[in-house]
Amino acid sequence: MTTAMTETRHGGTGGHEAVAARARQVVKAYGSGETRVVALDHVDVDIVRGRFTAIMGPSGSGKSTLMHCLAGLDTVTSGEIHLDDTEITRLKDKKLTQLRRDRIGFIFQAFNLLPTLNALENITLPMDIAGRKPDREWLERVVETVGLAGRLKHRPTELSGGQQQRVAVARALAARPQIIFGDEPTGNLDSRAGAEVLGFLRRSVDELGQTIVMVTHDPVAASYADRVVFLADGRIVDEMHAPSADQVLDRMKDFDARGRTS
Amino acid sequence: MLKTSRRNLVAHKGRMLLSAVAVMLSVAFVCGTLVFTDTMNTTFDKLFAVTGADVTVSPKAAEDGDDLPGSGRPEVLAGSVLEQVRRVDGVADVQGGVLSMSVTLVNGKNENLGSTTGAPTIAANWSASELKSMKIASGREPSGPGEMMVDADTARKHGLELGQELRAITVIGDVRARISGIAAFTVTNPGAAVVYFDTATAQEKLLGAPGVFTHVAVTAADGVGDEQLKRNVAAAVGADTYKLQTAKESADAGRKDVASFLNVMKYVMLGFAGIAFLVGIFLIFNTFSMLVAQRTREIGLMRAIGAESGQVLKSVVVEALLLGVIGSALGIGAGIGLAVGLMELMGRMGMNLSTDDLTVVWTTPVTGLVLGVVVTVVSAFVPARRAGKVSPMAALRDAGTPGDRKAGRIRAVLGLVLTGAGAAGLALAVTADRAAAGSAWLGLGVVFTLIGFVVIGPLLAGIVVRVLSAPVLRPFGAVGRLAERNALRNPRRTGATAAALMIGLALVACLSVVGSSMVASATDELDRSVGADYIVQSPAGQPVVPQAEQALRATAGLDHVTAYRGVPAKVTAPNGRTVDEEVSVTDPSYAQDVRRKMTAGEHPQAYGAGAMSVGSLYAAEHGVKVGDELTVAFTGGKTARLKVAAITSDDGNLDKGVMYVSTATAGQYVPADRMPRPFMLLAKAADGKAEPAYAAVKAALAPYPQYQVLNQTDYKENLKDQVGQLLNMVYGLLGLAIVVAVLGVVNTLALSVVERTREIGLMRAIGLSRRQLRRMIRLESVVIALFGALLGLGLGMGWGAAAQQLLALEGLKVLEIPWPTIIGVFAASAFVGLFAALVPAFRAGRMNVLDAIAGD
Repeated sequence: MTTAMTETRHGGTGGHEAVAARARQVVKAYGSGETRVVALDHVDVDIVRGRFTAIMGPSGSGKSTLMHCLAGLDTVTSGEIHLDDTEITRLKDKKLTQLRRDRIGFIFQAFNLLPTLNALENITLPMDIAGRKPDREWLERVVETVGLAGRLKHRPTELSGGQQQRVAVARALAARPQIIFGDEPTGNLDSRAGAEVLGFLRRSVDELGQTIVMVTHDPVAASYADRVVFLADGRIVDEMHAPSADQVLDRMKDFDARGRTS
Repeated sequence: MLKTSRRNLVAHKGRMLLSAVAVMLSVAFVCGTLVFTDTMNTTFDKLFAVTGADVTVSPKAAEDGDDLPGSGRPEVLAGSVLEQVRRVDGVADVQGGVLSMSVTLVNGKNENLGSTTGAPTIAANWSASELKSMKIASGREPSGPGEMMVDADTARKHGLELGQELRAITVIGDVRARISGIAAFTVTNPGAAVVYFDTATAQEKLLGAPGVFTHVAVTAADGVGDEQLKRNVAAAVGADTYKLQTAKESADAGRKDVASFLNVMKYVMLGFAGIAFLVGIFLIFNTFSMLVAQRTREIGLMRAIGAESGQVLKSVVVEALLLGVIGSALGIGAGIGLAVGLMELMGRMGMNLSTDDLTVVWTTPVTGLVLGVVVTVVSAFVPARRAGKVSPMAALRDAGTPGDRKAGRIRAVLGLVLTGAGAAGLALAVTADRAAAGSAWLGLGVVFTLIGFVVIGPLLAGIVVRVLSAPVLRPFGAVGRLAERNALRNPRRTGATAAALMIGLALVACLSVVGSSMVASATDELDRSVGADYIVQSPAGQPVVPQAEQALRATAGLDHVTAYRGVPAKVTAPNGRTVDEEVSVTDPSYAQDVRRKMTAGEHPQAYGAGAMSVGSLYAAEHGVKVGDELTVAFTGGKTARLKVAAITSDDGNLDKGVMYVSTATAGQYVPADRMPRPFMLLAKAADGKAEPAYAAVKAALAPYPQYQVLNQTDYKENLKDQVGQLLNMVYGLLGLAIVVAVLGVVNTLALSVVERTREIGLMRAIGLSRRQLRRMIRLESVVIALFGALLGLGLGMGWGAAAQQLLALEGLKVLEIPWPTIIGVFAASAFVGLFAALVPAFRAGRMNVLDAIAGD
């Protein structure tokens, strides 16, 4: 663990690279006394701007909780989280909502879209809510990138699962958020559709300079990332740069084995 | 399966609560009505039981002791009857009674001390037989012409004290007397004001003749039955000479009088209970539809593990049954409370009803329970059948609730056919030339258009909501658009929710159109026809006493005064057919007071000696022409042969179909003391003196507070107020239906919010603020409410206009649509929407984002 922490501090920031989000000594605990469960145990992590970061870990490792806290969806018990220069753990609901609306994009595992709106309306929804006009050129580029040009007038029920997730990706990208959070965005897709969506995420980092954080338990998905952070029992235990799927898989197996022996 | 039903009911108790409230309200209205009318009946029964003598002897012509209509003088018996009856076998005691209901009691400030609820003021002689129903609470019985005794309720209401001087106004003259005693009823007196004199005074002042009575109360000796006594009396005095009634017959007669009034009230209130039920049906239907939709996966699972389709259906029906039982049980309790509340309200209005008499017969709760349960189960049956049809595959499919996009061609066709049939019915009603046939068409038209609109509602929702959204929702940007889409996503649900509101508002619109058309038509007719400046009449329909008439005639500044009487008569045409008619006996100056259109002759000619006029409908029906002679047998007078000198047009509402005869002509056939008193006086001011004369007329009639003096402007206002009051009462009752409809909107929204938990979570995650979320739900609610209001008001105005066209035959010639009311109601329904959304919006705002997005 000490090793991991040290590694995070040094390697995580990448020294000269800008940080999009920063968590310091973040604790998330449920209940109290005997029944107290710690989901996040003094976590420190830096999310580098313009990079694709994956958070991995076995079930119950706290990876989703970490993402929810970083994204301002959940509150922390203690510690600080900065999004750019904004300390978000003390923000009120109204400010947090605005922050999510204006500065964060989301891609969930399922149920990403409102069934009453068509694809285009879903894509521009965060901007519509904010009462902002979308940037036409950028919107077109995003739509083209995710390959949805012909399907903008379709309702979600008329789209396949892969197409629906691509709409979700487009929505996340369209508002040019500082950071996009994905919660197992390919979890419900078959491998081909999943690869497609991950390809778009990769391209949006490479070509559009987008910052992405993705929670996943799929080593193949994680291999699309620039960097993988491993979580176990609410702590960051390791990280890996430019990983391959096999490397990630091996690392995960290692956790499993350790988990069983301990 | 019963266990599942019960568990489901308990699990969704919040959602079921509103449906239970709807059942409860409807049942409460039914039970409240029944308990209230039963209690009124008990009160009157108790009253009649103590006021009726064993056998009552009254004049043959008297109608249950009442006066000849309008004359103000009761029919009388000679005092000798008393002695005759006293000698009859089996008679223990005989008391001569004097009773008149043509009396007005006023205090020193000229305030009417009579009932304000239409109950009579009764003047009578104090005799031993009164002690059956009264006891002297303070003071002593009246003796001599200067003393009277009043009932305790009236004394309490008006703060009367012993020794105070009051004035009783009768046709014979004014009687001034001091209060010698106050007598209290031994049972509940529903509201009549009673004043007693000693027998001699009563005879002189109420009947105008000493030694006569209006009735004789006979008490049976021990062991003699009332029927036996009646036979004995009949044998002694002659069966056909007098009217003889046993105590039971008197009570029955009294009950019949009251029953007609009570029945009207009962049916009106039950009608509203019916509307409440109708609206409740939509609410229950919607609730169960949504619950079944939400539970689709669960039901699919049950089917997959082996539950039969019938079992699923049964479980939903049983759930409805339990709901119906709970709702009805609460409703029965609430109904009794409602009845007590109504009694309290009547008490405030001057009608005494005691909770001691509260009557709950066993049929009342049974009726409530059966109605409540049947309505609930029937309403839930369609959703239950849908539940039964859920396939086991549903368990495997995604739990999302896709919008019900198939509005259905069958629905469209059926709805259009029904609406078309209804519209045809309304059209036939409009073009009908006979009111009876027309009203049948109108009824059918109303029913079919209503059902048609309910069926077609979901289809209209798509169109109307879009149209309404442009001005109402667009200004709210993305939130408005989301609200619009939500309102549109399940047209069947939106349609059913709005339909509940539609029914109540359609009735409101229809009645307000008819009401204002009534006022407008009457005003219009008044402007066209009435030339008199002042109208004097009693709102309670009491005839004008001679003193009041003289006071008016003596007023300075009047050009003339016209008395208008109704004299009952049998009129025989030359073709030999006889009709019962109330002949309008009035002065020749009436021709100046009221301008009539004539089809033959001139209006003043009707008032010539030995002349009369008839209406054009009568003339046409009986082939009567000017110059024909009619045989007119005046009730209480002789038979006359009168020449038809003029025929009035029946193309209006004012004095429609009446036959005019001059007072002088009628006076030759009807003796002065039998001539009915005028029920209306008209007066015209001398030129240029209208204003000062109005004040003078009011001052002259101030001692007679039972009459209203109105000039044309005030008369119109008065008319408007009366119609307005009637409408307000109806609106108040319809308010109940609207309350149930609002519960429906609340219910729909609350269930929709639960259904959309994940959507709401998603929207909150991507940046929809709490305030925006709440606004979205409020806007959805507003647009549903406006949709219902638009449909209801449109439908109601159509009904109202059709009804007016039909009633044009009866003189309702002017169609007036009360736009301020209609627009006001439309705007108010937006607030209804806002109000209904309060709780659902609050709850949606409180949802935890993480729970919502994590929820499976």
